[in-house]
Amino acid sequence: MNPHTTPVLAISLALGTTITISSNHWVLAWTGLEINTLAIIPLISKSHHPRAVEAATKYFLTQAAASALVLFSSITNAWATGQWDITQLNHPTSCLLLTAAIAIKLGLVPFHFWFPEVLQGSPLMTALLLSTLMKFPPLTLLLMTSKSLNPTLLTAMALASAALGGWMGLNQTQTRKILAFSSISHLGWIAIILVYNPKLALLTFYLYTIMTSAVFMALNKIKALNLSTILTSWTKTPMLNATLMLMLLSLAGLPPLTGFMPKWLIIQELIKQEMTPAAMAIAMLSLLSLFFYLRLAYHSTITLPPNSSNHMKQWYTSKPPSTPTAILASLSILLLPLSPMIHAIV
Amino acid sequence: MVNFAQVVRDHWVHILVPLGFVVGCYLDRMNDEKLSAFRNKSLLYRRPGENVWDCVCSMHLALFC
Amino acid sequence: MLKIILPTVMVLPTALLSPPKFLWTSTTTYSLLIATLSLQWLIPTYYPRKFLSNWTGIDQISSPLLVLSCWLLPLMIMASQNHLQQEPLSRKRVFISTLIAVQPFILLAFSTTELALFYIAFEATLIPTLILITRWGNQPERLSAGTYLLFYTLMSSLPLLITIMHLYVKIGTLHLPTLELTHPTLSTSWTSVLSGLALLTAFMVKAPLYGLHLWLPKAHVEAPIAGSMLLAALLLKLGGYGIMRVTLLMGPLSNLLHYPFLTLALWGALMTSSICLRQTDLKSLIAYSSVSHMGLVIAAGMIQTHWSFSGAMILMISHGLTSSMLFCLANTNYERTHSRILLLTRGLQPLLPLMATWWLLANLANMSLPPTTNLMAELTIMVTLFNWSALTIILTGTATLLTASYTLFMLLVTQRGQIPSHITSIQNSTTREHLLMTLHIIPMLLLILKPELISGTPL
Repeated sequence: MNPHTTPVLAISLALGTTITISSNHWVLAWTGLEINTLAIIPLISKSHHPRAVEAATKYFLTQAAASALVLFSSITNAWATGQWDITQLNHPTSCLLLTAAIAIKLGLVPFHFWFPEVLQGSPLMTALLLSTLMKFPPLTLLLMTSKSLNPTLLTAMALASAALGGWMGLNQTQTRKILAFSSISHLGWIAIILVYNPKLALLTFYLYTIMTSAVFMALNKIKALNLSTILTSWTKTPMLNATLMLMLLSLAGLPPLTGFMPKWLIIQELIKQEMTPAAMAIAMLSLLSLFFYLRLAYHSTITLPPNSSNHMKQWYTSKPPSTPTAILASLSILLLPLSPMIHAIV
Repeated sequence: MVNFAQVVRDHWVHILVPLGFVVGCYLDRMNDEKLSAFRNKSLLYRRPGENVWDCVCSMHLALFC
Repeated sequence: MLKIILPTVMVLPTALLSPPKFLWTSTTTYSLLIATLSLQWLIPTYYPRKFLSNWTGIDQISSPLLVLSCWLLPLMIMASQNHLQQEPLSRKRVFISTLIAVQPFILLAFSTTELALFYIAFEATLIPTLILITRWGNQPERLSAGTYLLFYTLMSSLPLLITIMHLYVKIGTLHLPTLELTHPTLSTSWTSVLSGLALLTAFMVKAPLYGLHLWLPKAHVEAPIAGSMLLAALLLKLGGYGIMRVTLLMGPLSNLLHYPFLTLALWGALMTSSICLRQTDLKSLIAYSSVSHMGLVIAAGMIQTHWSFSGAMILMISHGLTSSMLFCLANTNYERTHSRILLLTRGLQPLLPLMATWWLLANLANMSLPPTTNLMAELTIMVTLFNWSALTIILTGTATLLTASYTLFMLLVTQRGQIPSHITSIQNSTTREHLLMTLHIIPMLLLILKPELISGTPL
């Protein structure tokens, strides 16, 4: 790739995201979404592998369809109410259309099919961008319109996402696909609370971003694209592997780690809204995804043979993991005691 | 006089647990004083100049001495 | 409170950073010192809670358990020395720090006055235990044991979390002393029955109740010795402690709910005792004997009288020490013969005569011979159960008989009889092991003299 393209793409990504999250007008928001889509496509198809091209094509088609739906819903709204304000999405049809469009953009069930395959086709760092930064603009649109969305629809989609994300990740051996399904089930947690407490949904998204970035960067460091590579990677960076296990359990939401905080707050908020059965269902469904996180954790450190094994080892590198990885890893493990402060800030 | 710096370098970790104990004692005492101050606000239960757990300790002494 | 928790946390960096020569000595010494300091929690008081702070408070139910958990940390470290001998230094450090990492959470769980913090600490013990079992176990089956442990616990404790949050939204506080004053908090509507069930089930799985116990023998068989000690002596007690805490909140509801739990607990005590009789695996036998003893604790916790609570308390403490000692003894055999099968490790008395004395003492305590605290506990619990319903004497009496018989069976098989022909020479027992057994047996013997320290009733 031409050395000048990367900065251009990075700036476009930042520009598109900024435009969408700061706009007040539907057309501007749509423009930002389109800039984002067009900027990420070269990054996905950077390696000229058929899978990468396939991923880029799939990504482009779904995102273009979703953006068209966003535009359509805002035009319907403008036609009915005579204004283009994002927060004033009052027309019921356009609300439904927007929910569907954003669900496609985010990869919420039942519009999730493109997401694992696009992630599988793209490099790890692009997959990180796809599952964190690229979800941010659509999520802000949902947050801004959260007052007029249909809670029943969102709850149903959220429960379906948590269930299918956990269910379909069970038989995967590719780390990127597993992380894609984990992303889908986390989006379920975000979507279920979105209508009732948008701030909490945002907090959940931030924490999910921290945890999943840490995991992606650790996997990128040990170059692990599937489970068997993780199994032999402990000779490269033993400490990073040990922390990778804790980060994965944090993603699963086990108590003394950061991942428990969003689960705890969301369950409390749902119960406050008299939605105890939904809270119960989504909590139990998170056990499904715990199973594949646990398997990843087993592969990362826990199943090390007590003594050195006889398979081919990879060499210990003297280059330590980067500082951002270290910071993200500690954030994704240790934030739970600070939860009152974080909850107050966000 | 053996090499003092070497001894310090080898054994500085052993200060950690006593340090934890001292800090813990200090924090506990601060907390007790806070609780006593709170108790002394009440006219009925105030015991000026006496810490919350003083009576426990005196009772302990009475039992074992 | 902090003056014990902070030093315990500081043992972690000590284990990670101390010079290699002093790794075992410094961690053992410091944890023993902390255990000695923790004895101050046993000081009697006429206040309902002592050492009260904003988030912790110790009453007569939690103080013996706290002292027990402080006491067991040096013993766990001491017991793992031998099987870590071949490991490189960094792995020794990581193992010790995993052991130490559980300790602050257990202390928090036993001492907190806030139900949400209790839940977090209760669950936080899970990850270090999982690592201990699945990373440091010996056989490939340890993976399924770890998965069982994690999923049994989480399946039952997520409803607990939801119920705790529900109580919080309904009442507005989770502070236990306040909650005890606001009872009855749960009525008898069907949602309240579900809430009560959810509150109890998490602890019933942890305790474990018969029927929900399948994770325990697996975990015990696969875990290294420190993991077994941790599970038997402390984590099961978290379950019993939780039951005693939450039954106080349930008011009239428990009259409805305690039938299934009591039935299962007593029937389970009987069943697991009979399972013990035909067990071939030594560690599995001890694990099932834990289930049977904890069945009595659960039954006593459900009765909710003063007598039953003090019986449950005494049984938890003495069972903690006894079963931990039995696991240590089983481990000394395992380290010498590399087998847990009873058939292969028979008749060791002529080879390890002093160890046979420890076996005898531990087994006598396990079958609750007269002067031991185990007997006081079992008698108290049987009396309370008899007072509740006379028919239970059939179950508890049979269970006691079976307990005596399987303990005798264990003693006879491991110590007496012919030495099998494949054991020709065996390593001598070391001073470390004798010290380990002594440190287990001394508290047991001393508590006979002053059982009111652990009986849970105020002075």
